[in-house]
Amino acid sequence: MAGMYRLRARRWTNVAAIYGFLLLLSIVFMGPFVFAFLSSLKDNPTEWPPSLLVNQLKPSNWAAAFNLAKQGGGNGFTGGFGPHGEIYFEATYWTAQGQEPAPPEVVVARRVQGGAALALRVEHYAADYTEVRDVHQVDQEPHEGGLLTTYGFTLVNTSDLHFDTVPMDLTVPMRQQFVSGTLTPNRIERLGRAQSWDNVSSGLFPYVLANYARVFRENYSVSTGKKLFGLWIRNSFFLAATRVLTTLIFASMAGYVLARLKFWGKGAIFGLLLFSMMVPQQVTFISNYLVLRDGIFGLSRLFGVPTLLNTYGGLIISGLVGASSVFIMKQFFERLPASLEESARIDGASTYTVFFRIMLPLAKPPLGALTILTFQGVWNEFFWPLVVITSPQDKYPLTLGLLTLQRTYGAASFDWGPILAGTFISALPVLILFVVFQQYFVEGISFSGNKE
Amino acid sequence: MKRIGLVLVMMLLAVSAASAQQVRIGGHGGTDTVILEEMIELFIRPALEGTGITVQYEPIADDFQRYIVNALSAGTAPDLFYLDSFWAGSVMRSGTVEPLNAYLEKSTVLRGEDIVRSLLDAFTIDGQIYGIPKDFNTLAVFYNKDLFDYAGVEYPSNDDNWDTFYEKLAAVAAIDPDIYGLALPPEYARFGALAHAAGFTPFDENGATDLFDPAFVDAFRWYTEMGLEGVGVMPADISQGWGGGALASEQVAAALEGAWILGSLRDEAPNMQYGATLLPKHPQTGQRGNIIYTVAWGMNANSPHKDAAFRVLELLTSEEVQQWILERGLAIPSRVALADNPYFTQDNVEAQSNYTVFLGASDGNVLPFSFGVYGGDWMQPIDQALSAVLSKQVGWEEALREAQTRLDAVMQR
Repeated sequence: MAGMYRLRARRWTNVAAIYGFLLLLSIVFMGPFVFAFLSSLKDNPTEWPPSLLVNQLKPSNWAAAFNLAKQGGGNGFTGGFGPHGEIYFEATYWTAQGQEPAPPEVVVARRVQGGAALALRVEHYAADYTEVRDVHQVDQEPHEGGLLTTYGFTLVNTSDLHFDTVPMDLTVPMRQQFVSGTLTPNRIERLGRAQSWDNVSSGLFPYVLANYARVFRENYSVSTGKKLFGLWIRNSFFLAATRVLTTLIFASMAGYVLARLKFWGKGAIFGLLLFSMMVPQQVTFISNYLVLRDGIFGLSRLFGVPTLLNTYGGLIISGLVGASSVFIMKQFFERLPASLEESARIDGASTYTVFFRIMLPLAKPPLGALTILTFQGVWNEFFWPLVVITSPQDKYPLTLGLLTLQRTYGAASFDWGPILAGTFISALPVLILFVVFQQYFVEGISFSGNKE
Repeated sequence: MKRIGLVLVMMLLAVSAASAQQVRIGGHGGTDTVILEEMIELFIRPALEGTGITVQYEPIADDFQRYIVNALSAGTAPDLFYLDSFWAGSVMRSGTVEPLNAYLEKSTVLRGEDIVRSLLDAFTIDGQIYGIPKDFNTLAVFYNKDLFDYAGVEYPSNDDNWDTFYEKLAAVAAIDPDIYGLALPPEYARFGALAHAAGFTPFDENGATDLFDPAFVDAFRWYTEMGLEGVGVMPADISQGWGGGALASEQVAAALEGAWILGSLRDEAPNMQYGATLLPKHPQTGQRGNIIYTVAWGMNANSPHKDAAFRVLELLTSEEVQQWILERGLAIPSRVALADNPYFTQDNVEAQSNYTVFLGASDGNVLPFSFGVYGGDWMQPIDQALSAVLSKQVGWEEALREAQTRLDAVMQR
């Protein structure tokens, strides 16, 4: 009896150890994601020491952001300061005994986030059309040996224009401490004297996801006027989808041929295929580059294209199908029983019929795995597109777009928020893909014996 | 078979003739893309109407130096491209950049004399001009007025020398242990300006570098002692990446930076009351020092249509374009004629900061940010020495000895 109890106890300690270990692993792996996401919401993503209390996640700020935008005549969710809109705002200050509390100096600032260049295309600033009215004392009460004073004021849009952003600054005399405001300020400056908001009419979503909104809003192409970030995502999807399609077609056909048909030189072709898997990309990329530069030995000129550099054609053609994908398909077809095929042959089916009607429908699991592996590969591909695609920016895939973000925000002003937001967005599709198709991922790895 | 070959050849010829006059311009990605595309739209395209020349800007998101060296070797480089004085040395000597003297002689709108001399010098080797500077930057003292007010100290001014400057900073640093006077990045790119003030030049007449040159030692000790005394701090020690970030954090009262700091202050600290003044003079030499950072337009020696490219180059560096760039506060122009532009006398802090940076180019011992064929490798030993001393790992003498050894190794390669 005692022995059995001991056995059970040992079993439970084992289970607890395993679960504990798994829990630890998941924290180790998910921790950075959660941390990156939290940081991407912050005003200052690099703040040190990092805090988990993010202003953008406080319900009181959500309500305030929604209400302020609504008052301003915009949509509560997406924000905006509409024609003749009015925004009522309050701020509370603490002053020590003996110091006379002073009402804040309210200024709607004439500034645009993201550097001077982005301001080139701004035609109207809210600052030029907004009046600050009626700065008055709302409330006053003693607090901790001093006075808590609340001031209220109204911002009025005097024009018929609609503004997306209304940056606002409040300034008070030295030693008058800011306690709270309708909306938590984005930054406190001048040793506490100035409180600064990036946008008091942002609306709920642009407030919480400010950096995400910036990524979409601030990056546009001057020559075409298009917003770039959405375009980059579309380009990446397009390139990934094309590559998935060509890979599925060519890998399954080549895999079938190598697995099932008998012809002279098959061994040599398969050997070459294996060999090409062994040569690292770094060795071949210069020759590949030169081949694309000359339009595949001048062939592309027949179609009026002098070079395949800087074209999607070049990217697609150079990546039609990978040797490893052919290999996966070959392994799969080899494992299928030959009797399936033989019975179809007896019924008079041609090779094409056998392939399309019998083999392909059976190959769904490896095709699923290939789809995911290829999509993930292309989505994250950086080096080759960087070499091939140069301009205009409208053509970039998302990975190159992220590099551009780094140039725009990182190099110019150490503004990491939008970069973090951009990278997080780029991680999402693969994350979703992984969660939805976990099972195929595992199969894909067991088919190929390695991952890509 | 023969006929097919003939058709092929004819098609090849037809295609190459059709794409004759497109001038490709290569430069940085990011913010520069927006500026360049706007500039082309407003000035270049209208001016080229009817000439058959079209212009395309190709922003390079990646490291530009690496890109241009590769593209020049592969023969895919754009017709005109950025040439940064920092790495231009080896590129200009490679024969892949077109000398522009002959074009300048023929030109009616662009001559060498139109461009600020010291800038043009950075792109001239043996009398051959390889690039037309488009803009430049120098260092200035950017300071936070609130911190000086709080400490009750006078703001830094153009009359300051190292001693008076140090005193002011020390008084601000005395407010609080978490507040420092000056941001001290361990980089020759900042510290070098002070070494220049003391009379140091990177290379003597024999092309050698002596880090035990009294001028260098003087500047090195002044800079590092400020850190050891707690008057200054390395930005990394207050979790900032550079001087501008440190200034924006309000933990340091001043930083030695160029006009590039303006955009970041606008974003990170829009309410900061700051000012800019020239770098302090060396107490003995009575001189200021500075470093010029400049980028030029270079022309591809293998460009298929160089005359068209030069025409575009003329437009890119025209007075009209430079004035537009200046008035939007994007960069400081390289043309002599723009020194008297009314923009500089405007009553706003950005215009005045830009003017201070502009003046920095012609006051005292000013040298371009370029180290011949050694490029950035030349600075590395010095940067390491600064970092080692500022983080209290070694004394200044030992650090300099080590740096000299490494530097000699770099220069013998």
